[in-house]
Amino acid sequence: MATFEPVIMKGIGESDLADIDVYERGGGFSVLRKVMSDMTPDAVAAVVTESNLRGRGGAGFPTGRKWSFLPKDGRPRYLVCNCDEAEPGTFKDRMLLEKTPLQLIEGLVISAYAMGAKQAYIYIRGEFLEGSRIFRRALAAAQSRNYLGDRILGSDFSLDLVVHRGAGAYICGEETAQLESIEGRRGEPRLKPPFPAVAGLYGMPTVVNNVETLCYVKHIIERGAQWFAKIGPEKSPGPKIMSVSGHVRQPGNYEIPLGIPARELIDEYAGGLLPGRKLKAFQPGGASSAALFEEDLDVGIDFDSLAAKRTMLGSGGFVVMDDTACMVNCARTLTRFFEHESCGQCTPCREGGQWVARMVARLEAGEGSQEDLRVLNVINNTITGTNLCPLGDSIMPFLSSVLKRFPDEFAAHVAHGACPIKDVTAVVA
Amino acid sequence: MSETKMVKLLIDGQEVTVPDGTLVVEAAKQLGTQIPVYCYHPKMDPVGLCRICLVEIEKAPKLQIACSTRVTEGMVVRTMSPKVAEARRGVLEFLLLNHPLDCPICDKGGECDLQDFTMEYGPGASRLTEPKLHKPKRVDLGPTIVLDEERCILCRRCTRFDNEIAQERNLVVVERGHNSLIGTIDGGDYESYFSGNTTEICPVGALTSKAYRFRARPWDLSHADSVCTQCSVGCNYRVDARFGNIMRTFTRENSDVDGGWICDRGRYTFNYLYEPARLREPLVRRDGDLERASFAEAVALTAEKLGAAAAAGRAGVIGGGRLSDEEAFALQLFARKVLGTNNIDHRARLQRYASPARFGARLRDLDDADLILMFGAITPEQAPILDLRIRRAVARNAAHLVFVGPFKPDLAVPFHYVEYATGAIGDLMEALADALKRGAQPQGAFAIDLARNLNEASKIVAVHNGRNPVAASALEQLIETLLAVGKRGGILVVGSQGNARGAEAVGCVPNLGPGYAPLANAGMTTAEMLTAAANGKLDALFIAGANPALTFPDGALARKALESVPFLAVAEQVMTETAAYANVVFAAASQFEKRGHVTNLEGRRQAFAQAVEAPIYVATDAAIVSALASALNKPDVLDDDPDWLFSRLQAVEQAAKPAEPLARPKLDPSVTAHGDNLDAQRKTFTVVPVPKLYAGGGPSLHDPGLAPMRPQARASFHEDDALLLGIAQDRVVTLTGPNGSITVAANVGTSAAVGTVLVTADMPEAPVNRLLDASGRGRVTVTPAPLRKEALA
Repeated sequence: MATFEPVIMKGIGESDLADIDVYERGGGFSVLRKVMSDMTPDAVAAVVTESNLRGRGGAGFPTGRKWSFLPKDGRPRYLVCNCDEAEPGTFKDRMLLEKTPLQLIEGLVISAYAMGAKQAYIYIRGEFLEGSRIFRRALAAAQSRNYLGDRILGSDFSLDLVVHRGAGAYICGEETAQLESIEGRRGEPRLKPPFPAVAGLYGMPTVVNNVETLCYVKHIIERGAQWFAKIGPEKSPGPKIMSVSGHVRQPGNYEIPLGIPARELIDEYAGGLLPGRKLKAFQPGGASSAALFEEDLDVGIDFDSLAAKRTMLGSGGFVVMDDTACMVNCARTLTRFFEHESCGQCTPCREGGQWVARMVARLEAGEGSQEDLRVLNVINNTITGTNLCPLGDSIMPFLSSVLKRFPDEFAAHVAHGACPIKDVTAVVA
Repeated sequence: MSETKMVKLLIDGQEVTVPDGTLVVEAAKQLGTQIPVYCYHPKMDPVGLCRICLVEIEKAPKLQIACSTRVTEGMVVRTMSPKVAEARRGVLEFLLLNHPLDCPICDKGGECDLQDFTMEYGPGASRLTEPKLHKPKRVDLGPTIVLDEERCILCRRCTRFDNEIAQERNLVVVERGHNSLIGTIDGGDYESYFSGNTTEICPVGALTSKAYRFRARPWDLSHADSVCTQCSVGCNYRVDARFGNIMRTFTRENSDVDGGWICDRGRYTFNYLYEPARLREPLVRRDGDLERASFAEAVALTAEKLGAAAAAGRAGVIGGGRLSDEEAFALQLFARKVLGTNNIDHRARLQRYASPARFGARLRDLDDADLILMFGAITPEQAPILDLRIRRAVARNAAHLVFVGPFKPDLAVPFHYVEYATGAIGDLMEALADALKRGAQPQGAFAIDLARNLNEASKIVAVHNGRNPVAASALEQLIETLLAVGKRGGILVVGSQGNARGAEAVGCVPNLGPGYAPLANAGMTTAEMLTAAANGKLDALFIAGANPALTFPDGALARKALESVPFLAVAEQVMTETAAYANVVFAAASQFEKRGHVTNLEGRRQAFAQAVEAPIYVATDAAIVSALASALNKPDVLDDDPDWLFSRLQAVEQAAKPAEPLARPKLDPSVTAHGDNLDAQRKTFTVVPVPKLYAGGGPSLHDPGLAPMRPQARASFHEDDALLLGIAQDRVVTLTGPNGSITVAANVGTSAAVGTVLVTADMPEAPVNRLLDASGRGRVTVTPAPLRKEALA
């Protein structure tokens, strides 16, 4: 069994951490108290920068550096907490929101203090209705004890937090689309530059941070930058929650030190594969990530090791597919998802996405042709890297990776007019 | 101004130096290198959606979009590398996947960017092997546009135009992904005075104008560089004709004037030429009826009657604002040198001045003005393209917009409304100018507010309607005061007719010759001529391109005059309310059927070319007056040749040396500077005529292209008054003044001030000038029509 001591998942499932009394008894808000009484904003930011915390939302951008981009020109600045977790295979933010909302609030207030934001927003995925209710209750409790609001804990620092619920669009997880959505417009990514740090929400300097990222900020301040920096690889340090799903015995969220091999996550944390099954493929970073295979099981789970394998850690959605999974079926599910979620701004994503989805659907139905396979093998060049936001770049990685690794399986769908695998079990539906 | 930093870069191996911050796509243009674009439009913010403009930039990890990437020193750009070619082919293949490829029947075929770029950069064939996806076709988007969603490539130029340029935010993308459609925010019609521009900037055949749909192929069209005369802005446009018939008009950017846009009234007003109402030959009244006649007969009869009246000093000439500068010049020559009278006036409406005497501003001045004062001029209705500049200044530069007038207009951008009765603006302005000059605190909350705005602003542009002489001179004083303290600013006067300013400048006023040269013996103004005619003191009137029966404020006087004058000759393009009274009607050529110059509201003289030939018995106004001059034995005074007229005009104007302040046209005796008070008892209501873009008699009445947009004549009441009067929305009411009445449907809201009734101006079916006096004032009683039984049920 895994031996890593959970950090932000600590206590989940043991006590009701959404209850402010319970949370406080466990030491909750003590870090915020310390920050408010002893630390300058710059000191907080310096610790975060030193820890080399990288954003847990998917892109892995160093958090401290992101904060440092805010221009010091006197304009109001905003902190937006991105809780629009909608990546298929990822379900960590939802857990943090529902199970330990006060930890999130504490991390958020500390972060807002560090960057000098007096106004913060949390954008909660529309489907997280229960989570948003829990969060609102927690927020009210935190406000009633002056952890938020005017002159927090007697300091000069005030912070208002607005809860904004999404309406079900995956694209609103992209930071600039999220800002558009908060402003009341169609959720569509903006052209960058300018980046949000310069002109974000309502044109003002804005930082968008993921839920998990903000939770870690609290612990980094509490335990010190070096504690965090020494966990895992030097350039990709710290713990991270991995959402493991698919063909494993114990799917769920596991907090791991970054850098452990994929094999360890599957076998030690998630209980291993189902009896008698063989690993076929796994996605380390959600639906957008390229698949890895049996031969890659020793790859370290961290930003850089996975990037070296031409895939990514992403948001930590770890999807395991065993030998009963049909790769065409999996690809169909995912391409359909991206087709449906494309905002429609960019031509390659909008048109290419629906074309690919139609071709893959046809292949799965046994109606595909050699020509479809030829197109799918090269269309990557014109779809990936040609769009305004990363959604368009997410359409092809999984498909391309499995098409390359299992060409026969695709060819068999064409040749036999049906799936060659018996007992197909859908991994992602 | 600070020096612009220049940067040097390489595009396809060629060196180019451009200002820092230039977009790569624009830098490439300087070398003559075309980078294909769809979503990019130089007038709008880049959005980077279509991805066709991807180029290779050294050191960038992936291809970059040329439409939003800005140049940097030493940048190395490749626009034709294999990687770029592959990306372009890919984008074009995607765009064409579900495109109907109905080029053979598409209006855009031949001038379509999708067609052109596919030929140049696209794949030869699609690899799509299944049926295309279908979307709605022939979508009726509004009164002017049909949308084909299948042809649409979702570049969003149209929605961004509506949002960024028109500031109307009605046109939007609905649905998502490849299901995206162009629609309106509420699912209703796309109604905009600027809608036609979207058909032009649409890079494909998705947005097609109803007026042009299926009527021509681009390669069959002849082009003439013309200038629109539907209002006084003078937008440049191109008139496209097929085999001698006008098919469409198209923008022809003059960034100082129109910024590359035209309004729908300008764009679509030409099909009246092909309607039965178009006058195609002269008419002469015989036994009470107007009958077809030869040009010679019409000329002979008119020359005889006008000549006799002139000999007795009892002739007058009205018009000029619809004519070219050359023709207006000829018209005043005709009056002065042939008829021997100074009784000539182009003013057939309330407007008294078509220019400010001093401190004339340019349209461009609106762009960086930080305070824009609208005095009575309703720019969206009277000068739409000028209004676009105001919209941009307010939306983009946070210019402060103040409207001072008798009702709250419907403007696209936020503004500060100051309610002031028509006649009273002069008093206000005088007080304000006076206060500013003396540094004293003006009286009244608004004046204090405005004084503060004026103090804070650095550049002020006032837009005036030229009606109130007190306001006009007070405005000039105001600007003078501001300039004296180092601010910048000026005045624009919105003309009442397309070439009002030109007519004024070439001498179609009773006291000024060409070039604002004062004359010793002033003739009669329009009001004086009409009064004289009504009293039997005028024997003949010649009216060219004016419609006083509909537009002169005192309609009762105008109609009485036209009825009483023993001889009336009218030169018009279509039958009008005024021409109906005439003894002789000349069929006059339209703008499209002649060439010459017109002068816009800022005083800019612009040449326009002839687009089509006039029908054979239709003559230009210059030809009509020169034929009359010949018949009156003065052939040497006039020539119908525009070049001859223009060189004469220039010579005369140079000799006159107009200098600021410009001499002022003579005022009507009826003009009183001051306002009247509202009826506190609310027994009578003060009439406020409200201009509407598509109202009017003449061409706009008969043009089928404008018919769907034609407004209804309406009387608008403040909701408190409506309650008092017991009228609800759409209730039919009769407005009765001392000299007549009209019956119209009511609007109830808050745009009208209490005690006033707003009446749509220039509607032949309900002429507001039945209710007004010569100075444009009128009070009416209001009688709701009895409700029908079925309405009560």
